[in-house]
Amino acid sequence: MSDISKLDLIGFAINSTRDVFQTMLSMKLNVIESRLPMKSPNKIVGCVSFAGDVMGNICIHVPSAFARVMAAAMLGMEPDEIEGEDEVSDVIGEVSNMIGGDLKSRLCDAGLPCQLSIPSITRGNDFVIESKGWMRHERFAFQQQGHLAMVEVFIKTVN
Amino acid sequence: MTLKVLAIDDSKTIRKIVAKAFSTYDCDVAEAENGVEGLSVASRNKPDLIVLDITMPVMNGIEMLSKLKGQPELKDIPVIMLTAESGKDNVMQIVKMGVKDYIVKPFKGEQLIERVMKIYTLEPKGATAVNEFSNPFFSVFDDVQVLTLPEKPDRAAIAEIEGNLGTALKSMASKGLSHFVLDTKKVKEINMLIIKLIMAVVQACEKNKVHLRFVGSEGLENELKGFEETSRFTIHSSVKDAKATF
Repeated sequence: MSDISKLDLIGFAINSTRDVFQTMLSMKLNVIESRLPMKSPNKIVGCVSFAGDVMGNICIHVPSAFARVMAAAMLGMEPDEIEGEDEVSDVIGEVSNMIGGDLKSRLCDAGLPCQLSIPSITRGNDFVIESKGWMRHERFAFQQQGHLAMVEVFIKTVN
Repeated sequence: MTLKVLAIDDSKTIRKIVAKAFSTYDCDVAEAENGVEGLSVASRNKPDLIVLDITMPVMNGIEMLSKLKGQPELKDIPVIMLTAESGKDNVMQIVKMGVKDYIVKPFKGEQLIERVMKIYTLEPKGATAVNEFSNPFFSVFDDVQVLTLPEKPDRAAIAEIEGNLGTALKSMASKGLSHFVLDTKKVKEINMLIIKLIMAVVQACEKNKVHLRFVGSEGLENELKGFEETSRFTIHSSVKDAKATF
């Protein structure tokens, strides 16, 4: 089993987020180093969990207005053509699934087999997700079209 | 032949991306949200190809695939797996289960089409429209393409006919047909719109090396004699008579 303290978690997360945004949304990410939790009056968070030799979560936090832009880009539509919030949630869930799937694969390839959950979505105003008891907690922010979004990863090994 | 595709993914977004990828080809895409629904649609529709996600609620793609392989009437349907997981073990597991191919998300529709092209030849939608061309004004009798004008062709009808003329001729070419009859017998009054349409038909037939005959009244013959392009044509009293002259 690998030592998770040596894993380049932030590098994995940045690369897979870049790849997803580039391929599915045709957007180039402008990554900003950030240790601060993202505060946004109205945001949507997509999370997937993995469980096995390692446990963890990977979440993407996106302001609602930008989430709509992402949904439109993924579906090849204009933002005002998006029918409802279900479509936006589905896109954010799928983005978190793709980022989480890539991270999960890297963990498995590093000798830390685990299974991936289906995505979950949280919506709300001015909330912060706090999670305790993890061995590693990494996050990075990125800027896109004037919006600030964030990806964070929590991970711990299971004895 | 229209390719029947079944896209199984819990994400409506991914199903839309898959459907959009096939939208320019002669494909009929059915959708299902999970493995249980996917098996049911597959049993009912007998698709030619299944695009299957792995991580889904109710029944995941791996379980559905194993059930699919256990059903004699479904086991040979080619399956392309969509997976968010590119890990070595995951890929090995998929390959061992007998899928035709797999695509790691994120992916573009073009990548999916490339993989499908390794299994099937996809015909662009236009090509099928030519082969299976159907329009109320155009019909084929005994290997002769017949264009029947209505009693009072208005601008909309004439525009529709002109718009479909090229496709009708392409359809004829694809079937090896070269005989065309323009039937104006029902037309009450020959006006300039109809003369213009007749000219367009004459020119299109000449360009496509298609033999053209006319069916209509004596009045039409008199009208056509007034134009250089149409003066040589004899007007026949019925489609049967016109066909007999080819």
